[in-house]
Amino acid sequence: MKVLLVEDDAPLAELIARALRAENFAVDIAADGLDGQHMGDTEAYDVAVLDLGLPKVPGATVLRAWRKAGRQLPVLILTARDGWTEKVDGFKAGADDYLTKPFRVEELIMRLRALVRRSTGHATPRIVCGAVSFDAQTGVFELDGLPLRLTALEWRVLECLMLRKEVVVERGDLTEKVYQGDVGTDSNSLEVIVARLRRKIGRDAIETVRGRGYRLTAAVAP
Amino acid sequence: MKADASLGRRLLLGASVFIVVALVVATIVIGFVLHRFVQGQIDQRLDTQVAFLASTVKVAPAGEIALDGSADGPPFDRPGRGWYWQVSGPRNMLRSRALGDDVPDVSGLPLPPPPPPPPHRTAPPPRPADGPGPGGQALHYRILRLAIDGMPVEIVVTAPRAAVLGPLREAMTTLGLSLLVLGAALLLAILLQVRLGLRPLDRLRGAIAEVRAGRRATVPDEQPAEVRPLVSELNELLKQNAANLERARAHVANLAHGLKTPLATLGVALSAGGRDGYRYSAKLADLVDLMERRIRHHLGRARAAALAGPTRAQTPLAPAIADLGAVLGKVHAGRGIAFEADIPAGLAVACEPQDFDEIAGNLLDNAFKWSATAVTARAVAEARWVLLQIEDDEPGLSPEQVAHLLKPGQRLDETAPGFGFGLSITRELVDLYGGSLDFASAAGGGLRVSLRLPKAGVEPTP
Repeated sequence: MKVLLVEDDAPLAELIARALRAENFAVDIAADGLDGQHMGDTEAYDVAVLDLGLPKVPGATVLRAWRKAGRQLPVLILTARDGWTEKVDGFKAGADDYLTKPFRVEELIMRLRALVRRSTGHATPRIVCGAVSFDAQTGVFELDGLPLRLTALEWRVLECLMLRKEVVVERGDLTEKVYQGDVGTDSNSLEVIVARLRRKIGRDAIETVRGRGYRLTAAVAP
Repeated sequence: MKADASLGRRLLLGASVFIVVALVVATIVIGFVLHRFVQGQIDQRLDTQVAFLASTVKVAPAGEIALDGSADGPPFDRPGRGWYWQVSGPRNMLRSRALGDDVPDVSGLPLPPPPPPPPHRTAPPPRPADGPGPGGQALHYRILRLAIDGMPVEIVVTAPRAAVLGPLREAMTTLGLSLLVLGAALLLAILLQVRLGLRPLDRLRGAIAEVRAGRRATVPDEQPAEVRPLVSELNELLKQNAANLERARAHVANLAHGLKTPLATLGVALSAGGRDGYRYSAKLADLVDLMERRIRHHLGRARAAALAGPTRAQTPLAPAIADLGAVLGKVHAGRGIAFEADIPAGLAVACEPQDFDEIAGNLLDNAFKWSATAVTARAVAEARWVLLQIEDDEPGLSPEQVAHLLKPGQRLDETAPGFGFGLSITRELVDLYGGSLDFASAAGGGLRVSLRLPKAGVEPTP
């Protein structure tokens, strides 16, 4: 799960990013509205955290521009402005959720997970695919009812496939969603991660679709 | 006069002084003119008698003078009235019958020296004099000294001073009364004029009172030319005041929001520390919470404090509730709570939109938090109020608990965690608008909040 964090306060952005990474999220940080808008336009994110009071371009303008360009990316507004009128304006600009500073980082994580889950069409937190189950609210994977231990990259790949179970996920999409902007893909290539995942949850659970990407499936391959 | 005394009194006093002085001067001048006129009439009559006497006096060769006929025609025929005549020759003296034996002491009077006769005139005019006559009666004299056949003759004709003063007094009495009436009429007119003239000030006062009551933003510009500069200055002042207020609010908001980001940083840092096993982090996190509450509370107060009395603002209810419902639907998206609003179209409350959002937003948010499946909002119009009822369907807090939490003076720190502490601000805002907030159990077992706010378009009761 990859998060675009648009926040101009560097210490806060760094702390949020650290907390999110600790929960296996991939996080890209943009320090102003212009960068944020550009990154949201050009890269694939599962969710964006957007401050309203941003240098260069205000958050609400960024959000409107994304929505006008047809970008459906779920957006959580994270702002110090806590009036209801500002909330209404934020949602009218196209926000999906709203959190006011100061906040509990656990609350932010919970809301981001819920946003991503709902944006991928899952009404309930528990997603099951064959023997693998995923609690989208806590971010815990289970295999046959037992907790599954995963590295951050493995978690990201499996979460991405799980949220889109039974659907082919393009290689490019997967790569983008798994790696943070500045981390190279060479050391831990996608193939290696998928191979490690297959060892943990079963060979047939992840199907390779040639020339396109991967699919998490409950169907047993013939 | 004190500088701050009534304007009307100043104008009235000024005008009165002027009118009295003008009338007194007019009385004096008219009196003088009248006196001269009456005097002239009398003099003319006396001079006719003088001329008559001069033409009828005959001088005998021995120096004796005699009248050729009678000169005692009226009014010289009645004795003791002051109408007398007397002709003195070098030898004898003729006098009117009315004089009897009393001879006016003509030679004793301070007679002015005869003016040099103009060369083309045959006879100089008789000279006037005033003095007491027989019996101390005040007399007016006309004296002519002339020579008849070479003999010096002095003709004296008198009239009573009363003949001059009587008509004068009569005329002056009438005149004085007329002038008094005129003066009174003028004063009345001025009183009326001052009243009418100062009426725009009364209207202005009314307009300013309306501004103060919040029914108007500015004082209307249609004012008399003299007041217009004052009004435009006043309006500028109002505008500046509003701008200052707005700036002060913005400063408070900026301060609050400026504090929140470092506070958020602190909160997140503490939470990260908590994971690393820092044992005081929970306590510190509570402090961060408390600081946030304080900031939000005072931010709300700063907004609310700016509001004094009724307002001109209107907030249409249905769209505002629909917006808030949509927001809360998204915020609580995961819980599938149905929101149903039954608000008559066109219903509006006399409330700043932001304040209404704050009030209704907090109440609805609370309802969403505690609700299991559904939240409803219903509004009805009453005579002066709009009643908005918000219900949830899950017994969270009992109405008594809520009422306790919302008691005025309740300390913020004691507000139950999880319970929207925005409600204390809500209570303050509702109070500021003169509305009411009541809590009861809903039919479904949840909480029913009844909010009354002034209806828009209704004149607020003073």
